[in-house]
Amino acid sequence: MFQSTAWVLTAFLFFGSSADKPYMTEPELVIDGGRAVVSFDLVGGFTEELFEQIQTGLATGFTYQFNLLRDHLRWADNRIDTSELQVVAMYNAVTREYLINYKQDGKLIDSRIARNREELEQAMTRIESIAAFVLGHDLNPDKRYLIKARAKLGSRTIMLLIPTRIETDWVTTRKFRPPATEP
Amino acid sequence: MALRERFQAYRKDTRWIIGGLAILLLALSLLYYLTQRGKDLPSELVTNRVLLFVLWYINLTLILAVLFVLARNLFKLVMERHNRILGSRFKTRLVATYIGLSLIPVLLLFAYGSRMLQGWIDRWFDEPAIQEVATQGHAVAQELFRQIEQTALRDTGRALLEIEEESPRNPRRRPQVQRRMGQLLEELDLDFLAVYDGTQFVHALLNPQSGLEDLPEPGERFLVEALRNSQATRMVSVGGGEERLVLTAVAAAGDGDVLEGRTLTVAGTLIDADIASKSRQLIQAYQGYRQLEVSKSRIEAGYLLNFLMVTLLILLASSWVGLYLARQITVPIQALAEATKRISDGDLDFQVEVDADDELGVLVHSFNSMTAELQRNKELLEESNLELLMSNQRLAEERAVISAVLQNLAAGVISVDEEGTVLTCNGAALKMLQQEESDCIGRPVREAWSDPERGKLAKLFEMDAGQSRRITQDFRMMLGDDWKTFEAKVTTMQDRHGMVSGRVMVLEELTELVKAQQMAAWSEAARRIAHEIKNPLTPIRLSAERMLKKHEQKAPDLGETLEEGVELIKREVEAMKSMVDEFSRFARMPLPRPSEVELEGFVDEALNLYRGIKPGVEVTARIDDDAQSARFDAEQIKRALINLLDNALDATEAPGEVSVAVHRHNGSLEINISDTGEGIPPDAKEKLFLPHFSTKRRGTGLGLSIVHRIISDHHGTIQADDNDPQGTIFTITLPQQ
Repeated sequence: MFQSTAWVLTAFLFFGSSADKPYMTEPELVIDGGRAVVSFDLVGGFTEELFEQIQTGLATGFTYQFNLLRDHLRWADNRIDTSELQVVAMYNAVTREYLINYKQDGKLIDSRIARNREELEQAMTRIESIAAFVLGHDLNPDKRYLIKARAKLGSRTIMLLIPTRIETDWVTTRKFRPPATEP
Repeated sequence: MALRERFQAYRKDTRWIIGGLAILLLALSLLYYLTQRGKDLPSELVTNRVLLFVLWYINLTLILAVLFVLARNLFKLVMERHNRILGSRFKTRLVATYIGLSLIPVLLLFAYGSRMLQGWIDRWFDEPAIQEVATQGHAVAQELFRQIEQTALRDTGRALLEIEEESPRNPRRRPQVQRRMGQLLEELDLDFLAVYDGTQFVHALLNPQSGLEDLPEPGERFLVEALRNSQATRMVSVGGGEERLVLTAVAAAGDGDVLEGRTLTVAGTLIDADIASKSRQLIQAYQGYRQLEVSKSRIEAGYLLNFLMVTLLILLASSWVGLYLARQITVPIQALAEATKRISDGDLDFQVEVDADDELGVLVHSFNSMTAELQRNKELLEESNLELLMSNQRLAEERAVISAVLQNLAAGVISVDEEGTVLTCNGAALKMLQQEESDCIGRPVREAWSDPERGKLAKLFEMDAGQSRRITQDFRMMLGDDWKTFEAKVTTMQDRHGMVSGRVMVLEELTELVKAQQMAAWSEAARRIAHEIKNPLTPIRLSAERMLKKHEQKAPDLGETLEEGVELIKREVEAMKSMVDEFSRFARMPLPRPSEVELEGFVDEALNLYRGIKPGVEVTARIDDDAQSARFDAEQIKRALINLLDNALDATEAPGEVSVAVHRHNGSLEINISDTGEGIPPDAKEKLFLPHFSTKRRGTGLGLSIVHRIISDHHGTIQADDNDPQGTIFTITLPQQ
């Protein structure tokens, strides 16, 4: 009895849950002057449960996390900077509109209205041209850098009471050299 | 103080335990308060993911703490049992009991409680009535809004057709359009009507009865949507309150991608504020219900985590308290067990050092007192033992000396214990009794001296010596072919409680002495007889010579002289004959022939001979009830009694008393003959029973010798003592077995 329960639990934790695991597409990176602008898609993150939760009027959303790393050839990449993009949707059942707010590092940068599921899903999962980092003077133009991103999709409970986070794996942009800035 | 010692001190300090329990109680109270407050908190907070994670990590910490406490103590128990530490079995049982008593009920309660909680939440969400009311209410509200929108769309479409006929994009037709729009507001009961050329504003008119103060601004996005989709609806708030305005836009037919050049009519219909408010509340209530529904798993998790946290806190507290209590009991007991082992190994200096102020503390204190007392007693015992050893050594030396003395003593010494078993019998005694050591040592006296002659010794040992604790008795025994005479002195030994602890007999053989005394007595008797015979011979010889002289003188009184002489000679010869007869009787004393004698008659018969003979001298008798009859030779004892009474009466002057008392003592018959006469001089007492010793001027000296002989032939004793206050008392003791 105990063994079979343990096997089911193990399978659920390591296999079952990874079958439909959401993921992020490889971010497209554009160095726009002093900004590192990324675009990507979140696949499989906008689930029926998520939509139902938004429909209830609860503020629901994702958090996209970005890490700016300096590339090392024979060593672990060291983190230079981090930033977060929160995409939170709220449904107004009276006006039947979805208000989607975009906050970068806690600051509201954009708001959109979606009037149906498709618009909502696209607004939440298709991130276009977000300036993840401002490439400052402290970056060495001779060195290579890269950006890692992942999405935090919330949490769920296992065995009724063990909360676990739902998040995608890290995805990495191409490596880049920051533009040389004039002294 | 070392860190470890300080930590141990903290652990032992009850204040820390009480403080810990107080903090735990406070935490539980706070948790209870928060749980109670949680009912009023918004569901977003209750189901907050961060809160769930915090609760989970607290629970995880508590689980680890409980496991750590249990595992640590179980490991210690296992190690103690493995190392066979004294008391580990008892400790294991106690700890298992305490943990079992706390663990099992708490876990069962958690299982049952969590199941109940889950069921309660499930029932809450699965309640069909609530679900139905919320869903239907929401549907009604949505349908109402939909119908209002549909009506507004239809009216807007009609208004578009009507306004299109007035060529609204022609500036010269503006008055007609405006008039027509006013008519449409009234006809269609609209609150606002506007006309656009594509996205360009053309005309707008407010219904003056609507109460709207400003023209609503639909927004370009709305207009574009309407142009692309031919129609569009929006619901907007107006007046900053509950009022809702339904904006509907209908575009004239055309290509959806071409925005300009197409007439667009926008109408506004105000929804009643009360209806709008109630509808909004219905929708929000439904949404609230749905929010809870989608949060069901998190609500469940939240409550379960809270419940689990309380359970774990209780479990941790109860396990801790249980282990603490077990330690409070087992530590002193272990210490006591260890101390017992140490003490059984001989370490009496060991003291139990346990801080406890309860009954176990009293036990430990008592144990330490007992150990100290044991130590003191041991030291005393060792000292006593040493003294005893020395004493034994001295005793052994003294015993050797005594043994040597006893072996070399001419007198026989025999000792028996309180049971009558012969302990010692020295060489002289063995020689006197003609026995070997093995014949008597270690045997009861009756077995050691079972024959009738030696049996007299056994009887002496069994006699009660009374208060004096001493018995002295002469007796004769036929050993081999010879009569032997002994004097035995038996001394009874008593312990400090006055109980008989044994008897010692000093045996002296008097055979030769008696023979010598008899020889002396016979010599004396012969001398006295010769003297007594010589005394009458002189008058006989003188009478004979006188008669011869008278005869030679031919004296005329010869006849008279002859008669006087013959008479004197006859009288003297008669006296000589009487004396010789008496002596002959003494020499020819027959052996006694005992028979059962009734004592009262016997004594009366003897006393009657003397009653009234001497005036002023009273003759009395007293016979005890236990001495009504006895067994002896009545003739011989009567002779002895008469002899003694004769002497007593002779010695007593009036007024006086001669009495006879008969009683039993130690199974023997005792006869006391007492008088109130002048008594016997001390130097005469030793010779009193010798033949021919007499204090009387004309006595033969054989009377008391005959009495002694009769009593001895009855295996009895006779002795003379001073009577109190005056006179003499003779005591005859006759054995009756």
